[in-house]
Amino acid sequence: MSVLGWRALVVFALLAAVPFVPGMSRYYLLLAFDALLFGAIAMSLDLLMGYTGLVSFGHAAFYGLGAYATAILMERGVQSVWACVGFAILVVGLYALVVSFFATARRGIYFALLTLIFAEVVYTFFRYTQTFGGSDGIQGLPDAILLPGLVIDTPTRKYYLVLVYLIVAYAICRVLVASHFGRVLVAIRENEDRARFLGYNVQRYKMGVCMISALLTGVAGAIYPMRSAFATPDLMLWTESGEFIISVMIGGLGTLVGPIIGGAFFTILRDKVSSVVDWYFIVIGVVLIVIVLFMPRGLLGLRRLFARRERRAAA
Amino acid sequence: MILEVDDVSKRFGALAALTRVSFAVEAGQIFSVIGPNGAGKSTLFNVVSGLFAPSTGAVRFRGEDITGLPPERINRLGVAKTFQITNIFPEISVLDNVRVAAQSRATESGRVSSLWRRPDVDGVARGLLESFGLALRGNAHAKDLSHGEQRYLEICVALATNPTLLLLDEPTAGMTPGETREATALIREVVLERGLTLLLIEHDMSVVMGISDRVAVLHFGEKIAEGTPAAIRSDARVIEAYLGGGDD
Repeated sequence: MSVLGWRALVVFALLAAVPFVPGMSRYYLLLAFDALLFGAIAMSLDLLMGYTGLVSFGHAAFYGLGAYATAILMERGVQSVWACVGFAILVVGLYALVVSFFATARRGIYFALLTLIFAEVVYTFFRYTQTFGGSDGIQGLPDAILLPGLVIDTPTRKYYLVLVYLIVAYAICRVLVASHFGRVLVAIRENEDRARFLGYNVQRYKMGVCMISALLTGVAGAIYPMRSAFATPDLMLWTESGEFIISVMIGGLGTLVGPIIGGAFFTILRDKVSSVVDWYFIVIGVVLIVIVLFMPRGLLGLRRLFARRERRAAA
Repeated sequence: MILEVDDVSKRFGALAALTRVSFAVEAGQIFSVIGPNGAGKSTLFNVVSGLFAPSTGAVRFRGEDITGLPPERINRLGVAKTFQITNIFPEISVLDNVRVAAQSRATESGRVSSLWRRPDVDGVARGLLESFGLALRGNAHAKDLSHGEQRYLEICVALATNPTLLLLDEPTAGMTPGETREATALIREVVLERGLTLLLIEHDMSVVMGISDRVAVLHFGEKIAEGTPAAIRSDARVIEAYLGGGDD
């Protein structure tokens, strides 16, 4: 557990207590599910954006493919969480291998463009393939089964499923960024050319991190239908990828924790504002502009602000 | 012979940056390549270190043909290079700059275990910073170092990959004459201590003459002379090139 650090352990303990908050409703518990899932995805994207300096506009495809992997198995009567996650890893892994190979072959803007184009192809395929339900997607899925006799049927169980996923994914990311591999990623972000002259095969590292980020996002996608009971092509729309990017930005690049907060913040903000007004995207847009303009380090950047004040007060 | 440059030419479109350049560097030598600005010195380095493949000709390192290999492969064989314009990792600490270079030679490098393990290279990294007087600057961001300190960090990063052949591209660029003397002495000391072979590019004659075993002179992409510093100093073609041709 030492990889997590005591602060993270406290936060995860508090999150584990969420279902016991007095007056916690089914609605809020599922909103909390969405917030943590979105946070986990933003964190995986941060490996690319914050640590390696690569912006993927196609993460929705990894997410959506994971969701379809679960939906396709469940529609055929396979309800095991492990089988669905395993199938998602296989499907997303194969797709990500192709995407990351081509996207990292060229430098600069090509990575963003190629991830976007590949994702649009996947979206279009599912949108127009009737075997997978076309634009309706796959609906009315049964509950998932974690272990014999343990059905993920209540909002509380669904919430714990995503919380455990978040903790595991966070631990993986923490270990990764502190490793040999993570150090090279930062070097690539800082100065790709110099990294090559130090003996690093930059494309291989970029492919590696792209695969890891895609697989973490794909597993998050595989978990989503276990809460929603559906997978639709909308999950793969490019606006979804955009929302992942925004979440990383508002949370704070290259911090892992920041994007989790950013993703949760974005999910809750969208839910709250959209239940009040129809033109909620204008409100969200204004909030985001304020954050980007006045908090370039994102929400987590506020931490530094407070730390500085305290230091000044102490002096 | 540790490095052989054999009849190398490099053209960029109509521009002939290098024309049939040949020379050989022996192990343990300090070999300098000099010439006026635009003589093709940096292009020569870029060909040797793998940034460009030569248009014709071959480069051999310890007898092995390395012509056209990518920079990461050539580096792994034991050739490290510094850059004329400082080329470091600006937004991370000075120590991390050297660490990331040093861990390139750790056993984990390139293996799956590198995903979760972090090799301990702090000893190597701190030792290098120590020898260039940067020990106390380890936690500063690389971009916050002074120009002279960044030039030293540039060399530390290259040395951290544990090369047998070091290519230094105008290591004293932008330094004052005082700093240049100091840097030259320090480089010489480190090279001798580590038993390295040094290929040095300079356009400052005073640096070259003091430390080189052998000097080659490039002029408009062609080698016009090669020999000991004393022989080069009195070579009529070299004097012509420096006084008549270029500005320096």
